[in-house]
Amino acid sequence: MSSERLFSLRNRWFATAAGVTALIAVASATVGFVWLPLLQPTAGFAGLWDAICSAAGLVRAVPVAEPVVQANYKTTNVNLSSKVPGNSSAISIGRGATLAMQCTMCHGARGLSEADSPNLAGQYALAIFKQLQDYKSGARISAIMGPRVVTLTDQDMHDLAAYYAYLPRLPAYHPATARPTPRIVESGAPMRNIAPCASCHGSIDYKGGSPWLEGESPVYLMTQLNAFASGARHNDISQQMRNIARGMSPAEIEAAALYYASQP
Amino acid sequence: MLHSRRLILAHFWLAFAGFGVALILGEWQMFIRSPLSAWIGNPEWYYRSVTAHGTAMAYVFPTLVAMGFGYAITEAALKRPLIGGNWAWAGFALVAAGTVTAVIPVSLGLASVLYTFYPPMIGSPFYYIGVVLVVAGSWIWVALMSVNLYTWKRANPDTPVPLAMFANVAGSYLWAWTAVGAAIELLFQILPAALGLTTTIDAGLARVFFSWTLHAIVYFWLMPTYIAYYTIIPRAIGGRLFSDPMARISFALFLVVAMPIGVHHLFADPQVGAGFKFMHSVFTALVALPTLLTVFTICASVEIAGRLRGGKGVFGWITALPWRNPMMLAVTFSFVMLGFGGAGGLINMSYQLDASIHNTQWITGHFHLIFGGAIVIMYFAIAYDLWPHLTGKALDSFRMMRIQLWSWFVGMIVLTFPWHYVGILGMPRRMAFYDYTDPAIAPQAVSVIASVIGGAILVVSGALFVAVLVRGHMAVRVEPGEYRFSVAAHQPARVPAALNGFGLWVSLMLALTVINYGFPIVHLMSLRNTSVPVVWIGAPR
Amino acid sequence: MTYDPGHITGAMVAARIERRWTAISIGIIALLIVMAAYAGIHQAVMPQPRVETADPRTLHIAGEFIESNLGSAVEPDGSVTVRAVGQQYSFTPQCIVVPADTPITIRATSADVVHGFLIEHSNVNTMLVPGYISTIATRFATPSERVMPCHEFCGAGHEGMWGRIKVIDKATFMKLAADRRRMTCVAQ
Repeated sequence: MSSERLFSLRNRWFATAAGVTALIAVASATVGFVWLPLLQPTAGFAGLWDAICSAAGLVRAVPVAEPVVQANYKTTNVNLSSKVPGNSSAISIGRGATLAMQCTMCHGARGLSEADSPNLAGQYALAIFKQLQDYKSGARISAIMGPRVVTLTDQDMHDLAAYYAYLPRLPAYHPATARPTPRIVESGAPMRNIAPCASCHGSIDYKGGSPWLEGESPVYLMTQLNAFASGARHNDISQQMRNIARGMSPAEIEAAALYYASQP
Repeated sequence: MLHSRRLILAHFWLAFAGFGVALILGEWQMFIRSPLSAWIGNPEWYYRSVTAHGTAMAYVFPTLVAMGFGYAITEAALKRPLIGGNWAWAGFALVAAGTVTAVIPVSLGLASVLYTFYPPMIGSPFYYIGVVLVVAGSWIWVALMSVNLYTWKRANPDTPVPLAMFANVAGSYLWAWTAVGAAIELLFQILPAALGLTTTIDAGLARVFFSWTLHAIVYFWLMPTYIAYYTIIPRAIGGRLFSDPMARISFALFLVVAMPIGVHHLFADPQVGAGFKFMHSVFTALVALPTLLTVFTICASVEIAGRLRGGKGVFGWITALPWRNPMMLAVTFSFVMLGFGGAGGLINMSYQLDASIHNTQWITGHFHLIFGGAIVIMYFAIAYDLWPHLTGKALDSFRMMRIQLWSWFVGMIVLTFPWHYVGILGMPRRMAFYDYTDPAIAPQAVSVIASVIGGAILVVSGALFVAVLVRGHMAVRVEPGEYRFSVAAHQPARVPAALNGFGLWVSLMLALTVINYGFPIVHLMSLRNTSVPVVWIGAPR
Repeated sequence: MTYDPGHITGAMVAARIERRWTAISIGIIALLIVMAAYAGIHQAVMPQPRVETADPRTLHIAGEFIESNLGSAVEPDGSVTVRAVGQQYSFTPQCIVVPADTPITIRATSADVVHGFLIEHSNVNTMLVPGYISTIATRFATPSERVMPCHEFCGAGHEGMWGRIKVIDKATFMKLAADRRRMTCVAQ
C-alpha cells in the first residue's frame, strides 16, 4: 500500500480524479463564461471578451440611457460618513460656546429651549452638524435659521455641534408625567413601512445622523412630522424620514410627539 | 475500550447543554412572531435571541459533537489511547471559553448581528472573539485527528485505515479548510472594524468569504451523521456494511466538492459574476453524488440486515427489520428527512428555481429539516449508542428513546413543512413580528401556527433526550465490552493508496478552491471604492 | 475467507450493482445540470449579467440614485427601468408602480447595510449589498398589487421594512408617464 505512488499519471485514481475534476471545471466554465452570456441578447455585450469579463465579475459600467432627473427643490448634500466631526477638543467646544451665544434666544442658555424650538443640550453632534449644513444649503428651509447660518463655516458648525453635544442632557423644559410607550414608537406599523421610532432614535438602537428626541417640545415634533409627511421638509437622506411620516396617522403623530416630549 | 471517557462526555454534555438552551430560544422565537402572541415590545430582543440560537446551534453544538465523537472514534477504531489528551482538553477549554465570551455581549444586546455576522453591521468585538476561540479550539481537534492517524499509519503500514477513522479525519480536514473563509472574514475584515482600527468594510467581499464557510459547514455538521450511517447503523441493526471502498469514495468526494460551491448562497448577490455562479451551481449538483451513493449503500446494508433476520422476497426484508431498535428508527427518520430536505436543496441549488424562494422562510425550513432533522436525529443516535461505553452503565430506556425519536421526527415535519410553504408564498426571514391582519400576508398565519406546534413537540423531545441520558448515568453498572464499528460484507484486505489517505483529495479541494474562489476574491480585494462605512449595532445611545 | 470462491463472486456482484447505481446517480446529476443550463438558455430568471458599483455614502448627492431620479422611467425602446434605494428601514420609492406586460429592469442598491429585495408571488428576489448595484430583469403579466418586504436582517427595525408594488394597466401607465418623468405610487 505504502509503495504505491499516488501523484503519478500512471495511478488510475489520480488520473481519473484529476481528469474528471478538470473536465468538469473546463466544461462548466465554457458554458458559464461563454455560452450562456452570449445567449443573452438583452445583456448587450460588446463582444466575446466583454461577455467573458462580465461573467467573471469585472466591474462594468452600463451605458447610461437617459439623463438623470434633477429635483426642483434642494436636497441634502451631506455625506454623513465623511463629515463626522472629529475629536471634540476643549478648544472646539469653547469656540462652539462662544458661537452659541447668538442661539440662546431660542435654544436657551444651556441648550434647553423655553419656546417650542428644539433643545440642543446633549444632542448628537452629527445630527446638529447635518441640520446646520442643510439650513445653509437650503435643503432645510427656515425663515429663522436660514439667515443665521449663512456666515457659518464648516468649522463653526463642527464647533457648535461639539459644544451642544458636550452640554449635559438636563430634564427639559416641557416634562410632563412620563407616558407609557405608544405602539408606534415601540413597534411601528410594519405593513405601512413604519419601523419603530426607537430603532433609529435610540432606546432600541441608534442610526447615525438621527437626533435624540426625548424631552423635545411636542409642538416642534408634530410640526416636523407633518412637514415630513407633506414633503414640505425634505432634507432627510433619500426620503428616509418622509417614508415613515407619510404613513403615520394624525393620532400616531400626536402619540409619538407627546411620548417623546414626556420623556426625561 | 474508550480511555478518554471524561473528555468525550465533557464534549457531549456541553454540546447538549448549548443545544437545549438554543432549542428553547428557537421555540420562543417561533411563538413570539406567530399570530398566537402579541408583538414583542422591543424587537431587538428577538434578534438577540436569533443571534444566540444561531451561534449555539451552528458553531458550538455540532462542533462539540464532532470533536467528542472524533475522539471516541480515534480510540475505538485505532484501538489505542488518544495521543495528546492534554491538548484535547485545551481545545475543549477554548471552545467553552469562546462560547462564554460570545454569549455575554449577545445577551446584553451588544451583538445582535445574527450568527452570519452581516457586515457592514458591526457589534461588540467580544462576540467575534468568542467565535474565533470556538474555531481555534476545534482546530486543535483537527490537528489531533491528523497526528493520531499518521502515528497509527506509521505503526501499521500494511493495514487499511479503519473506515470510521478515515471518515472522521476527512470530516476534520473538511472543517479545517471550511472554517478558513469565515476566519479570514473575522480576522481581517470584521475584527479590525469592531476594534475601531478601520471604519469601512467591503460587505460584498465579506459575503464571499462567508459563503466559503457557509455551505461546507453543513457538510461538517453532516459528517458525524454519515459516519454513523456507515459505521454504526449496520452493526446496531445486525447487518453488514454493503461496501467499504464506496464509503471511502463518498467521504473523499465530500472533502473535494463540499467547499468550493458556496457561491450558490450568493446567486442573488450583485458582487459575483454570473459565470462563477454557474460554475458553483454545477459543482453544487456534484455534491449530491456522495449523498446518492450513501443512500444506496446504507439501504443495501439495511437490506442485508433484513435478510439476515429471515426477511424474504422483494419487500419482506423491510418487515423483518428490527423496528423496535432505536437505531433503526433513527436512521429511517433521518433518511426520510434527508430525502425531503435534499429535494428542497435541489431547488435551492438551481440557479433559476432559487429566485422564487431565495432567502425566504423556505430556506429556514430547508436547513432546519436537513440539520435539525436528518443530522441531529443521528447525533441522538450516536449518543445513545456511545453512552454505555462512556458511563459504564446501562442505557436501557428503550421506550423513552423510541418516543423521543418519534417525537423529534414528527415535530420536525410539523415545524418545517409549513415553513417551506410560507417561503413559497414569499414570507421574508428574520422579522420580530408580522402584521397578520394585513390581507397580503394573512394566508400565512395558519402555517406559522402549525410551525409553533412543531417547535413545541421538539422541545418536549429535546427534554426527553436529556432525560434518557441522565437516566443512563444513574443506571446499573454494566461491562459494555469493546466499542465496535460495522463490518463490511466484503472486508477489503487492502485498499488503494488513494482511499487510504487524503493527499489526492485535499489537493483537489485546494485546486478547486483556487479555481472557483480565487478570481472573485482577488478581484473584489483589488476594488478600491467598494468598502462602505461600518454601521454599529447596539451603539452607545 | 479471502479464498472462498463464493465470497469473491459475491464481492464482484456487489461491485457490479454498485457501479450501476453510480452510473444512475451520475445520470441524475447530469440531467439536473442540463436542466439548469436549458432554463438559462430559454431566458428563465438569470443572474445579473454585470457587476456594477455605487458609493453608498453619496447616492443621495449625485448619480442615478438621487431621490428625484428614483422610480419608474420609460426607456426609448418602450421598456421600463425602475431605480430604487434600500436603507434602514425603507425602500425609496416605498411604492413602486410598473405597467403590466412590459419588460422591466430594476436597478437598486443599498445606502447602508445589506438588505433583501423581494416581490411576493414573483421571481423578483435579490440582495442589495452596499457598494454594488443589483439589477433584475422581469415582467408582470397582469395588473396586481403586491408587497415588497426586505428579506435580510438589516437592524432592529427590519420587521418594519415593507414596501409595495402596483402593477397597472399598460395604457394607463403610459398616459401617466407622459407628464411625469419618474413614476411612483407614493401618496403625496
